[in-house]
Amino acid sequence: MNNNWMKRQRLLGYVFIGPSMLGVLLFFLIPAAYSFYLMFTNYKFMNPTVRFVGFDNITRLLHDPMFYLSLRKTMLFLMAVPVSIAFGFVTAVILNQRLYLKKLLRGLYFMPYITSGVAVAFVWMLMFQPRQGPINGLLRSIGIDNPPGWLSTTTTSMYAIDIIWVWFLLGYNMIIYLAALQEVSTELLEAAKIDGAKRGQVLRKIIWPLVSPTTFLLLITGLIMTIKSFGIIQAMTQGGPGNSTTILSLYVYQNAFRYYEMGYASTISWALFLIILVITVLQWIGQKKWVHY
Amino acid sequence: MKKKSWIAGMTTLVLAMGVMAGCSGNGNNVKSSSSAGGSDAGASPSASTPVKSGDTIKLKMWGGVPPEAGPQTVIDAWNKDHSDIQIEYVRYVNDDEGNLKLDTAMMTGQDVDLYVNYTMSHASKRVESGFAVDLSQFSDYNIDEKMGADAASWKINDKYYGMPTTKSAFFVALNKDALDAASLPVPKEWTWDELREYAKKLKSGDDYGFIQNTEPYVDPLDSVLSQQGYTKADGTSNLDDPGVKKWLETLNAMMTVDKTTPPLGEQLTSKMPVEQMFLSGEAPMLNIGAWLLRSSNNFTDYPRDFKIAFAPVPRLTDNAADYVTRGGLGDYTSINAKSKNQQAAWEFLKWYADGGMAPMAAGGRIPASKDADEEAALESLLGDKGDTYDRDSLMYVMFDNKTPTFVRSVPQEVVDLRSQEYEKYFLGAQSLDQTLAAMTSRHNEFLKKK
Repeated sequence: MNNNWMKRQRLLGYVFIGPSMLGVLLFFLIPAAYSFYLMFTNYKFMNPTVRFVGFDNITRLLHDPMFYLSLRKTMLFLMAVPVSIAFGFVTAVILNQRLYLKKLLRGLYFMPYITSGVAVAFVWMLMFQPRQGPINGLLRSIGIDNPPGWLSTTTTSMYAIDIIWVWFLLGYNMIIYLAALQEVSTELLEAAKIDGAKRGQVLRKIIWPLVSPTTFLLLITGLIMTIKSFGIIQAMTQGGPGNSTTILSLYVYQNAFRYYEMGYASTISWALFLIILVITVLQWIGQKKWVHY
Repeated sequence: MKKKSWIAGMTTLVLAMGVMAGCSGNGNNVKSSSSAGGSDAGASPSASTPVKSGDTIKLKMWGGVPPEAGPQTVIDAWNKDHSDIQIEYVRYVNDDEGNLKLDTAMMTGQDVDLYVNYTMSHASKRVESGFAVDLSQFSDYNIDEKMGADAASWKINDKYYGMPTTKSAFFVALNKDALDAASLPVPKEWTWDELREYAKKLKSGDDYGFIQNTEPYVDPLDSVLSQQGYTKADGTSNLDDPGVKKWLETLNAMMTVDKTTPPLGEQLTSKMPVEQMFLSGEAPMLNIGAWLLRSSNNFTDYPRDFKIAFAPVPRLTDNAADYVTRGGLGDYTSINAKSKNQQAAWEFLKWYADGGMAPMAAGGRIPASKDADEEAALESLLGDKGDTYDRDSLMYVMFDNKTPTFVRSVPQEVVDLRSQEYEKYFLGAQSLDQTLAAMTSRHNEFLKKK
């Protein structure tokens, strides 16, 4: 009888997750499987003739210089994540102290995260404007004669986007760190103080290790989210100037919705998936060395 | 924004294809019994009722011009006189997303009866996929005769799968007052070297002498390549043609040496409002097309105190006889092969092309048909602002210039790879030779995979 009850409970569980599983199935699993199938076809959107091409798309990918270029750009883009986490940590530590207008400042730092991405993109475009923009205006006023061209040159554009991305992720990282800091037991901090530890030491030897699970979480989710994002780049540079900001996810988008090359776009998507997987697995292995639970 | 991930993208795509698979299963039925209300009509209930005589036929026309810039007036005029055929205008934005929306609508069997193509590469994709009716099946209208010799550049596999309806003029708009002050004549034919001199003479202070809309930016290349061929005799890329080199060098010198035209990187990233700069008198020359009239007639948003004159787009070749200019005809209007009311759509299309579209001229779109009233079109083109234009040069670039024309028909991939490489050159990130080498090698890659 007990066994029967268990069975019923389990069944009930499935009933409850049913609706959301249906969503996952319809909007994620089936499309993912379909794109896996498309990887081996020459399917072009609109074109009714679909032919199996075996591994042609994969060979093409491996010989596509644009793929390697956008892979490099993606890595540059990902650099923003650890930098933003570092800033997030520092900001959280500062805002966790007794500080005037603390609540307001917390809110301000979080603002970017809840602002519309395209609006953000346009404001930054104005700020980065090489001739009349306020950023270069400021740089000139403090005596830098040749301020960088930011989004308007091929060498600086990706870094300009990194700056925006650091700023964009900062609020979220800070909020999560603030929550983690509440968990740090005051006894440990007081004990350290009594033993004569300096502020820097407390930060490095006690707080940082104690929030390391949070750092790990932010790193994994941040990298995954960043590798998939291209909206801000599409809004600002469309991958230019030249192809200096064409990251992989944007390259997928261009192939699929500009050139209608669905087969090839699926192939790049799966390559992207593999890259995320490898990065995540590597982090999972690496975490044993520095994450303390 | 982070939600706009590739997963979401793929999902949309796959869903669209799922629906398509459902339709293509009975796609053949639809073709063989085109007016019988085929089984795919289930996708859109409003289209599922077979047309009986006496019923009102409802048609949907998709186009990229904002309704208020002409189309609504056109449609209203037709609907008033034709109670049996009612047209509804659906606007799509003519960019990647907008074209995708139109293509998806057609693939999923939503009602699209007529649609306007703005580039050859979009049109030919739609023809390939069987979404355009071969118009030669209607014998009561001779496109070649009505539209003139320029129409032929819109033939796909030697047939018309759409009707080119407008004269699309591309030109360099000139600030006549500034030209007069520098005592420069309005040219009727000129080279890029001459334009460069003009720009130098017209430049004042830190302002530019010449600016360009990004749409016709690359036309000089296509002008040369449509003559010399995109590929050499051996089938390899011809993107290193001397004309291409000449264009790159000239513009680069104007950007970096003369500083008469904005550096491309700056123009792109600041989304430079070139129309506004020209109409406010800040820059005296603007490379653009007939859609400039939409803004230049609008004195509320673009107040202006000078006369506009027009010159043809300059040529790269020394010999005027070798020159072809972009233009000819545009707004290639097709009838959806999946439409159940093709005959009705055809009736409308004929009326539209033969002058029904005249109100569109207010936005710079002049009817191409010889039966359309030129004066009426010109009147709605200029509105009450006629005396703020130099009439002679306007007539010349719109109607009287007999330079042969081409229609841009190069695939999007090639347009993109070219622009990526020349952007790098104009930004000083690579040399001229590197640029030409990169263009040709990427073009060769593209040719190989076709």
